[in-house]
Amino acid sequence: MVNDQIVNIKSGETFERVFLNEPSVNLRIIQEAGSHVKIHVLNMPSKQAEGSNLQTISNKIFITQTGENCSTEIYALAYLHNDESVTTETHVAHAVGGGTSNQLLKFILADHARGHFIGDLKIEQDAQKTEAHQTNRNLLLSEDAEMRTQPQLEIYADDVKATHGASTGQLDESALFYMQQRGIDKQKARQLLVNAFMKDVLNTISDETLREKLINSLDSDL
Amino acid sequence: MSKTLLEIKNLHASIGGKEILKGVNLTINEGEVHAIMGPNGAGKSTLSAVLTGNPAYEVTSGEVYLKEQNLLEMEPEVRARAGVFLSFQYPVEIPGVSMTNFMRAALNAKREYEGKEPISPKEFLTLMREKKKLLELPDKLNNRSVNEGFSGGEKKKNEIFQMAMLEPCLSILDETDSGLDIDALRIVAEGVNRLKTPQNASIVITHYQRLLDYIVPDFVHVLADGKIVRTGDKTLALELEEKGYEGLNL
Ligand SMILES: Nc1ncnc2c1ncn2[C@@H]1O[C@H](COP(=O)(O)OP(=O)(O)OP(=O)(O)O)[C@@H](O)[C@H]1O
Ligand SMILES: [Mg+2]
Repeated sequence: MVNDQIVNIKSGETFERVFLNEPSVNLRIIQEAGSHVKIHVLNMPSKQAEGSNLQTISNKIFITQTGENCSTEIYALAYLHNDESVTTETHVAHAVGGGTSNQLLKFILADHARGHFIGDLKIEQDAQKTEAHQTNRNLLLSEDAEMRTQPQLEIYADDVKATHGASTGQLDESALFYMQQRGIDKQKARQLLVNAFMKDVLNTISDETLREKLINSLDSDL
Repeated sequence: MSKTLLEIKNLHASIGGKEILKGVNLTINEGEVHAIMGPNGAGKSTLSAVLTGNPAYEVTSGEVYLKEQNLLEMEPEVRARAGVFLSFQYPVEIPGVSMTNFMRAALNAKREYEGKEPISPKEFLTLMREKKKLLELPDKLNNRSVNEGFSGGEKKKNEIFQMAMLEPCLSILDETDSGLDIDALRIVAEGVNRLKTPQNASIVITHYQRLLDYIVPDFVHVLADGKIVRTGDKTLALELEEKGYEGLNL
């Protein structure tokens, strides 16, 4: 198990993991030069484990690029219902140059669910030519759901490309109406839009079998 | 005598507290084509939104019956399954929802309403292919997200493609001709004409006589300031083209 450990990814190596419905992920990764890391943290508990008492999810990911030309990809997807809550923290540090990091984190919150994202991105003075992107997109499916987003960017190098964006919204009413106008009931229309929202995270999973399985399980609910 | 399909009685509707429809009366029989023309902002799209149950609009008074059923009491999706179809003036893009999944969901919802089994995957694909051909749409359409990245004209063709798939009894075409090039206009109009049966009817909202050369209306109505102020035959559209709304002495 890599959970709760410090993992060293050796020069030129690739490390990929999909964490599916783990109650907690605690990952500390040190990347050496030219290594690649791709992490998926997927929390869709109420679909998989009906009636489980899994209520509070905590994800902590610390990744430091200590060698040049590393790539880091972090994808997170949480689809929570009832009183479930999730806190996901990512701490990505570029200590040296030429590295890339891409983060896409999506939270879908129904009922009274709560989400909290802390995104800590640090680009040290020596990390010139770094390219770092962090995107957080959230969907609130009820008025009682709540999302907190705390991005924190610390950039000490001048020749870098860094972007971050966060948005929280509701389902597109005009798209819902368009589907209803074609005879699709509102509940199903909502589910189609939620699935579409989730798919672009799931589509980034490299393992084809797992990817297809997860995507097909979305469609089969319809 | 053909049967009454749609009956609108003294319909009033508002949006954001502002009254837009101020007493619309209209009866449509099976087999008829009704054109609705009228100045910008007259309430034409509002009428289509209200008929299809768009929740943004509030019906303040009046009645609407589709085949003697109280249309205003039905959910939007039930109206659609009962055969009311709107070709939107501005079709909506739905990223991430493929045309195939969308169309299958729509078609099966209608079939379930009619007490039929869901369509088999093979039949569905055959039907999709056949109807795409009617509109001269490309095969790759199936995997694309609904309307996403479609050109203005492609979106309008896609509306009529969906109409062909669902075979509604009442289709409302809201400025389906706007944004179409000359060939696309002909293709769309021919598509609409081929879908015409003695049992169904259409409301064609347009600003231009040009479309009515292809889709010949039985009646032309002028909607102005929330009311139908004039009704005539197809020559009314020609008169309008010539004189404009101001020349009508409404
Ligand atoms: N949300 C809103 N709040 C207030 N007024 C609105 C709102 N939406 C539309 N309207 C107004 O309702 C009126 C009727 O609009 P509608 O779209 O029905 O016109 P139309 O006849 O379809 O015009 P066009 O020919 O330009 O398509 C317009 O004056 C418009 O500005
Ligand atoms: Mg309009």
